[in-house]
Amino acid sequence: MSITTKLGTATLGSALLLTLGAGMAQAATVADGNTMATLRPVALNGVKASGTAMVTVNGNRIDVTMAASGLLPDSPHAAHIHFGADARNECPQASDDKDGSGTLNTTEGGPAYGPIVVSLTKTGDTSPKSGLAVDRFDTAPGGKISYERGSITVSPDVAQAITDGKSVVVVHGVDHNNDGKYDGDTKSDLDPSLPTEATDPAICGVLAAAPAGGVQTGGGGTSTPDNTLALALGGGLILAAVGTGAFAARKATNRL
Amino acid sequence: MSISSTLGGRRGVLAAVATVVLLVLGGGLVARALTAPGPPPQPDSSQAVAAPATPSTSASGRPTPATAPTAAEAPDPDFGVLMAPSAPVALRIPSIHLATKGLVELGIGTRGELEAPKDFQRAGWYAAGPTPGEFGPAVIAGHVDSTLGPAVFYHLGALKKGAQVMVDRKDGSTATFVVDRVARYPKAHFPTSEVYADTGGRAELRLITCGGDIDRRSGHYLDNVVAYAHLVQGA
Repeated sequence: MSITTKLGTATLGSALLLTLGAGMAQAATVADGNTMATLRPVALNGVKASGTAMVTVNGNRIDVTMAASGLLPDSPHAAHIHFGADARNECPQASDDKDGSGTLNTTEGGPAYGPIVVSLTKTGDTSPKSGLAVDRFDTAPGGKISYERGSITVSPDVAQAITDGKSVVVVHGVDHNNDGKYDGDTKSDLDPSLPTEATDPAICGVLAAAPAGGVQTGGGGTSTPDNTLALALGGGLILAAVGTGAFAARKATNRL
Repeated sequence: MSISSTLGGRRGVLAAVATVVLLVLGGGLVARALTAPGPPPQPDSSQAVAAPATPSTSASGRPTPATAPTAAEAPDPDFGVLMAPSAPVALRIPSIHLATKGLVELGIGTRGELEAPKDFQRAGWYAAGPTPGEFGPAVIAGHVDSTLGPAVFYHLGALKKGAQVMVDRKDGSTATFVVDRVARYPKAHFPTSEVYADTGGRAELRLITCGGDIDRRSGHYLDNVVAYAHLVQGA
């Protein structure tokens, strides 16, 4: 009986020792204010473009980098950060096509991403007032945008919305009829002097916190000390086996 | 047959059973300790610095723009090869004999860190970020070991600059990356921006696992090994 108890204790002990390697969570890593968006084609508008945007928040200032490819070349592409407290804080879906035109214009995207809060102009004012300042936006030579602008001042609400993953980056300008320029009879819902092609949303992505700090990708099973431990434990168990074996042999002899 | 001799016989059988159990357990542990593969490989410092950037050429498979800019306009940013978004399904790195299927989706944990896969033998990708082959830094992480032995990214530290990394994607295409550098960082000084921030346009890949020494109190490795790669071919 006592042997059974000892065996039980030994098994429990070894189980405890073996799980030592599994361990607990490590100390927290501090997240910085990096948010990123993967920019993908807006539903229904059929633009084969993509991109990324990164916004770093420092108090009420943001630094923005953006890269995109596949846009209508050599044409101004208005680009903004959108946020609305009442918006869904996401990119528009096909069901946002309220007028049934088969494409999405900027207003139809409103319920998804809300109004403009930052205009990503290359120079000058970055407020919503510059939302359609077509002469100050990137013209995408070769269909590509490589944009960088630092120290844009935003309101505390907007800074918070960006940090919370509720803001949306939208790049506008869609050549629906593939003739290489903005044209067509449909006027922009934002500015009747522009065709809707110039202002329809092309690519879109929600800014969300990027991962921060290291990753816990190990159990420790191949680190050297564990082998020593296993060796010692295994040796101990074998020694114990010698003892119980001798006991069993003696009992067997007694019965004979 | 007296009661005591029956009891004695039962104790003898118990002892014999115990002997077998102890031998199997002990022998197994010793055998594993002796045959264990030992600590995972670690990148040496020469791998941490990228080779001088080579100008990307048409050999990269990038389509030549039909209308080359002739004016003194801002030059075309060169983003290299880019692919449409498609989730990764498998990862292959022939030079370190790594091949794994069934990549899991990873999110962000309570401390803002990238979560590790729950399964030690599966790699995972950061599903809120770009897919491998798309613009920006796609991230694939895997465990270096489990509590018992090597895991899916055990050999990652042996990866060398110039090695090819293939990611098979859901749409049937394969994104082929070339390793720029492999570095090891203390988790306490993990270069968040370098690893996760925007790549300035290129489609890149980060492969992450654990490295260095283990902290016996927390049970976690003290370092991360990160391999940086960029897309060279998508088809």
